[in-house]
Amino acid sequence: MKTPPAIPRDCWYAPATSDEVDRELLPIRAAGLPLVLFRTVDGVAVALEDRCAHRAYPLSAGELIGDTVRCGLCGFVFGPDGACVSVPTQPHVPYGARVVSYPVRESDGLVWVWLGEPGRAALHRIPELPWLDSDSWSTVSGEEEVLASFLLLHENFADVTQVPFVAPEIAPAVLDTAPPPLDVVVSETSVSLHRDFPPAPLPAWQAEIVGCPLDAPYRTEQSGFFPSPAVWVDHWDAQGEDGSWVRLRFTQLVTPIDESSSRLLWAVSRDFALGNRAVDQYLDSIFTDYYDRVIDAMEIVQDVLDIDGPGPEVNVNADAVGLKIREIVASLRAAEGS
Amino acid sequence: MTETETRLREFESDLVVESYETVAEDVVTVTLVHPDGEPLPEWTPGAHIDLILTPEITRQYSLCGSPADSQRFTVGILNAPDSRGGSRFVHESVQNGSVIRIRGPRNHFPLVASPRYVFIAGGIGITPMLPMIAEAEAAGAEWSLLYGGRSEASMAFLPELTKYGDRVTLLPGNDVALMTSALDERLGTPRPGTLVYTCGPEGLLGAVEQRCGSWPPGSLHLERFAAKATEGAVDTEFEVELARTGITITVPADRSIFDAVQDHGISVLGSCHEGICGTCETVVIDGDVDHRDSVLNDEEKASNETIMICVSRCRSGRLTLDL
Repeated sequence: MKTPPAIPRDCWYAPATSDEVDRELLPIRAAGLPLVLFRTVDGVAVALEDRCAHRAYPLSAGELIGDTVRCGLCGFVFGPDGACVSVPTQPHVPYGARVVSYPVRESDGLVWVWLGEPGRAALHRIPELPWLDSDSWSTVSGEEEVLASFLLLHENFADVTQVPFVAPEIAPAVLDTAPPPLDVVVSETSVSLHRDFPPAPLPAWQAEIVGCPLDAPYRTEQSGFFPSPAVWVDHWDAQGEDGSWVRLRFTQLVTPIDESSSRLLWAVSRDFALGNRAVDQYLDSIFTDYYDRVIDAMEIVQDVLDIDGPGPEVNVNADAVGLKIREIVASLRAAEGS
Repeated sequence: MTETETRLREFESDLVVESYETVAEDVVTVTLVHPDGEPLPEWTPGAHIDLILTPEITRQYSLCGSPADSQRFTVGILNAPDSRGGSRFVHESVQNGSVIRIRGPRNHFPLVASPRYVFIAGGIGITPMLPMIAEAEAAGAEWSLLYGGRSEASMAFLPELTKYGDRVTLLPGNDVALMTSALDERLGTPRPGTLVYTCGPEGLLGAVEQRCGSWPPGSLHLERFAAKATEGAVDTEFEVELARTGITITVPADRSIFDAVQDHGISVLGSCHEGICGTCETVVIDGDVDHRDSVLNDEEKASNETIMICVSRCRSGRLTLDL
C-alpha cells in the first residue's frame, strides 16, 4: 500500500470568489498555509502569508491601511509585495523582514492563488470556467468547509456511479436503466470522462424548470473534467426533439485546507431560465441539499480513515477516473520533492 | 442497475504542423497546433508525446517547448542513420501544414524540485532538458548542463543555451576522453541534495549510471531512447488474475500480458509495446514480476509495485494485477 499523497502546492487554487475579496482582511487557510487576502486601493487582489514576521500573530487580526497591512500586535507594516515597510520602534526596517506574497490572478469571477515555488507559477495553467462570469449563464452557488480530504471530494465527483445512490431523485432516470459506455481520456496531468445517453425524460426538477412535458425525450451528453486538483467540472448538455439544447455546468472548486479538510465552492450554472429568481431559489434548495449529502458521506469516509487508517480497497473498472486522479496527484506531489 | 462499460484511452488528436525548421545538421523541430486553435493538454518538463506517423510507425518524442504555451507542442527530431523509420519519415515526408496524429502527453522523466541539478545530454537527448532548464532557472535552482555531440553543427538549440553562459558546457567532437573527465568531475563525488538528469545514447547513459552508483538513492533520473537489451530471457506461460475485472487469464509463452488482456476485451492503455514509453504501467497486487522494461529504475523494479505489461512477464507462475 503506497502512502496517500499529501497536498500538491504547485497548483493554482481558487480559495475565494472575486466578490469575497475586498477592502478588508480575509483570512483563509489553503494547502496547510495561512493566507490573508485583500484588495489594494486600485482593486488588485493580494494574498500574503497570514503571520507577522515579528511574532506569531495573524496579520488578518490587524488593520488594512491603504495598500499596507499593519500587525495588530507589534505594529510592523507590510506592503502588498510582502516586504516590511516600517516598524514602530526604530527608524530602519530590519533586513529580511517580510512575509510571503503569493502570486494571484483573477479570472471567471474567482481569485486564484499559487502556493508553490513562485517562479514555477507561470509554467502552470489556470482552468477556464467562462460560464461562471457570463451573461449567457445563470448560476447558483454555495461554499462549505468539509472535514474530508480534497482527494476524497475529487474521487466522489469523478465517480459517476455514486449519484443514483447518494441522491436518487436528482439523477437522470436513464442512469437506473442502461448506462451507456463510459469513455475515459487521460493525459499527463488531466482526466476527462464522457458518455452519451440515448433519448430519455429529463429528471423531474429539470423538466419543471425547462417547462417541457415530464416525459419529453432528451438526448444527453455528460462530460466530466479534472484539469487540476483545484476543480472538477461536469457538463450535462441535453437536446430536445426540436433540436434545442439545455445545458448545465456543475463547477466544484476544491481547495485543500489541510490533509483532511477542504473548502468546497460549488456552482450550478444553466443556459436556460436565465435570471429567473424563482428558478434560482428552487435550484439552490435542491443542490444545497445534494452537496450537503455528498459532504456528509465524505466526512463519514474521512472519519473511518482517521479512526481505522487506510485499508485494502477493492476497485472496479468504473473507478478508472478516480484512480487516475490519485495517480496524477501523487506524481504532482512527487515532483515537488521532499 | 446494469453494468457500465469503461473505455480508457489517452488523449489523441490530429494536429497541424505550424512550423518545421532545421535547427542543426540532421535535426528538425516540429511545432504542432490544433487545427481549430483548441488548447492542448497541460504537461510538465520531461514529458513526451507519441507521433502516430503511419499505421505501423508510432514513435515517442520529448516535448521541448514551454509548458506554459497551451497552443503548441514542439518536438526535436534527429534523422538518425539507424532510424527504425520514424525520424526518417518525419525528415522526408513532413512539412508545414502536414497533419500528424499525436497521443499523450505522458511523463516518466519528471523534474523533481531540488536546489541543485546536474543535467547531462548527449545529442538529441538535449530535447527534454530544455524545459527542465527553464523550470530550474525559474525556480532559482543552481544547475549545470554538460552537452556532448558529434560536432557543433550537429548540436541543436545552441542559440537558446548560450544565454545561460558558463552554466552550459559544450563538448562537441564525440571526444570520449573529454567526456569521461567531465563526467568524473561532475559525478565523481556524490553530492547529496543534487539531482542528476541525463538523456542520450546508451554509452553515455551507462557511463552516468555507473558513476551515480555511489550517489544517494533517487539522485539519478534518466530516459532511454531505445529498449535496453534483455539477453537470455526465456518466455514461459503464466496466469494473471485481473482483480478489478474479477477474472483470471492465461498468458501464453508467445504473447504479452498486454495482448492477452486485450484479447479478453479489457480496456488498457499502451503505446510503444517495447517497454520504453511507460504508458501501460499497471499496479501489481501480488506475484513476482520479471521486469523487462527500460522505464523503471532498479529500486522501482525491486519494489514490485508496478509492471509494464507490454514486455514484462512473471517469475512466480501467477500474477495479480489491478486491472
